[in-house]
Amino acid sequence: MAEDEKNKNPEIVGFACSYCTFKASEMAGSLRMKYPEGVKLIQVPCSSRVDPAFVIKAIVEGADGVFVAGCHPGDCHFIKGNYYTRRKIAALKEMFNIFSMKEKLRLFWVSAAEARRFVEKVTDMYNDIKEKKNEG
Amino acid sequence: MKGKKIRNGDIENALNKFLKDEHHLVLGFKKGTDGIHHQVFKGGVDNYSLINHVFGTNGALYLRRIFSKGIEVLLMMRPCEIRAYVELHKLTQIEREDIIAISIDCPGTVSSKESKNNMPAEIDQLKGYFSSNNSMRWACSVCREKRGVVGDGGIRFDKTGNLWIIPYTEKGERIISIIEGELEEIPHEMLIDRSKETEKFQVDMETFNKDFEKCIMCMNCRDMCPVCYCLDCVFNGDEYLPKGDALLNKVFRTGSTTMPRGKDLFHLIRMYHVSQTCVGCGACEEACPQGIPLTKYFKGVSERLQGLFSYMSGRSFDEPIPYITFLEDELKEAED
Ligand code: SF4
Ligand code: SF4
Ligand code: SF4
Repeated sequence: MAEDEKNKNPEIVGFACSYCTFKASEMAGSLRMKYPEGVKLIQVPCSSRVDPAFVIKAIVEGADGVFVAGCHPGDCHFIKGNYYTRRKIAALKEMFNIFSMKEKLRLFWVSAAEARRFVEKVTDMYNDIKEKKNEG
Repeated sequence: MKGKKIRNGDIENALNKFLKDEHHLVLGFKKGTDGIHHQVFKGGVDNYSLINHVFGTNGALYLRRIFSKGIEVLLMMRPCEIRAYVELHKLTQIEREDIIAISIDCPGTVSSKESKNNMPAEIDQLKGYFSSNNSMRWACSVCREKRGVVGDGGIRFDKTGNLWIIPYTEKGERIISIIEGELEEIPHEMLIDRSKETEKFQVDMETFNKDFEKCIMCMNCRDMCPVCYCLDCVFNGDEYLPKGDALLNKVFRTGSTTMPRGKDLFHLIRMYHVSQTCVGCGACEEACPQGIPLTKYFKGVSERLQGLFSYMSGRSFDEPIPYITFLEDELKEAED
């Protein structure tokens, strides 16, 4: 039942900063760490490049969840990009909360060295969403 | 706080004095044959109306991209219009240099689509009129700031029927100096009070889809919104809307088959984009041919998102829009 499989397995779109989280995902790959297939990464030059419109578009067009990930505060390649990200995504989270779907959006800080943290963060999100999806 | 008490006719006299300079304009309201409308006055005022109890559009809409120097424009408008002007200024869509913004106490308005027969025109009677029926637009009944306390100066009504003009900035002082009389302490209590807090907006996607069922995606709501100003809106053309494989993917993955496709996308993105600058004026809803309850959503969402940063759109010229500033140590709860 391939179709059923597909329906049960969530798809998660992740916007990952190319200076940190995206590098961490590559490192996870070269270390042969596994993370769910349904997690699709989109590389962005900085987490603050993510217009919340991208997130809304991903959700409205079928993604089960979205995360935005960047460098830890203070470590942004462009000095302060991720502080803006935090403001914008915090507000977007509040909006998702208003529409009773706050579980669909997460914000992670993952440095280029944190392959393990990357795998943990995305796997946790994937599992939580999968559980919720298969409940209803 | 100090202001000048205004006598009957003082305002018109002051405006006429101001308009003697050929480089001066006033944007305010004019009594027409069918209601009261926005009007640019040049040279002098005629059939001038201080307040306008019928809401058609938000006048700040007409101010976008005024950058010219040497022409002074005096705004005499509702608080929600002045607030939208303040936001547009912060968004670098208007130069503040040559604009003087006076907000006028607002008793609330009816929709321009409603019958306006038998409505009184004076503010104290209007207040009574609105409390005797429910003709007031919903946006006004939950308005966050009906008082003329924003911009460069304000016109306020006290409880004994007197009018006051109060300066908030140097520009306001300049305008007020045209009016005769001395500055004196203004009364503590005014006819129009601080607004009450409204309930926090909370909804779900099912209700949203139901409420927007009749939307035909004409985008009038966007076009009439004073603060939705982008020349290059992502929704110009259909590039941003789901189409082709993306549309099929949407149908299969979300089960959503409603048309016109992408209206959920359009409204949710617009809601986010205006979230810090929406003034809750309801111009979007007024422009909607389908009677969609837009204010409920746009005002509801924007107030909660502004609340996150203790921000209020248009309240002050100096408060930066939250998305273009930050604190290093904040919002830890947003991090997962
Ligand atoms: S929204 Fe407020 S300021 Fe604007 S017309 Fe209504 S009551 Fe007046
Ligand atoms: S004005 Fe009304 S019908 Fe037109 S796009 Fe906006 S909500 Fe839809
Ligand atoms: S979204 Fe609607 S209520 Fe908000 S500022 Fe624009 S027109 Fe006014």
